[in-house]
Amino acid sequence: MTIEELNKSKVPIIVFDKKLEELKGKVLFPEKLKRANEILAKAGLPKGAVKK
Amino acid sequence: MKYPKYQYRSETSMRHYEFISEGPKGLIKKIVEFSETGTENVYNLGFSDYDENTKTTSDSAVTNNGDSLKVLATVASTVYAFTQKNPKAWILATGSTNVRTRLYRMGITNNLAEISEDFSVFGLNSNGEWDKFLVGEDYEAFLLTKKENIL
Repeated sequence: MTIEELNKSKVPIIVFDKKLEELKGKVLFPEKLKRANEILAKAGLPKGAVKK
Repeated sequence: MKYPKYQYRSETSMRHYEFISEGPKGLIKKIVEFSETGTENVYNLGFSDYDENTKTTSDSAVTNNGDSLKVLATVASTVYAFTQKNPKAWILATGSTNVRTRLYRMGITNNLAEISEDFSVFGLNSNGEWDKFLVGEDYEAFLLTKKENIL
C-alpha cells in the first residue's frame, strides 16, 4: 500500500503506545458493560440478521 | 470519514484507544474501549474523558470543547480499526445519559452514509427490539457489525 492509499484509508495509521499496554485486560466502563450484557440478555442480536 | 479526526494511539490488543481533544477548554484526553461482553463476538464500546493521573474515566462528562464532530469521527474511526482486527465483531454502544445517547446517535447520523458502506447499524427501540438504524428515530442503544456478518 502506498502512502497516498494509506492516507485515504478509512482506518488511519495506528500508533502503538507502550504506556497504553497497562490498560490491556482492564475494563474501564464496568457499568456500561453491565448494561450491555443486560440488553443482550433481553434483546439478543437482531433477529434473522445473524449468520450462523 | 468526511469529518477530520484526531490521530489516536492504541495498545497492541487494539481494545483501547487514546486521543487528545483540542479546543477552548484546552487539551482533554479521551479514551475509547472495546470490552468483551458475555455474548460471543459482541463488544461493548465505552468512551469518555480520561484522567491519566487517577486512571479514571468520567463517562457522564460533557466537555463542550467545541470539537464534538471531530471527536465522534475519531471514535467512528476506532471502530474501523477494531473491526479490521476483529472482523466478526458486533459493537454495542449505550449512552450513560440521554445526552450521551443523543450524542452517539448524532455521531452515527453524521457519518451514516460512509458507515453504511461497510457496516449494518441497528438501534434498540422502546420495545427493547433491534431495528435497522433510521435517521431521526430515538434509540436506547446501538449495535453495528460489518456487512458480511449479516444475512
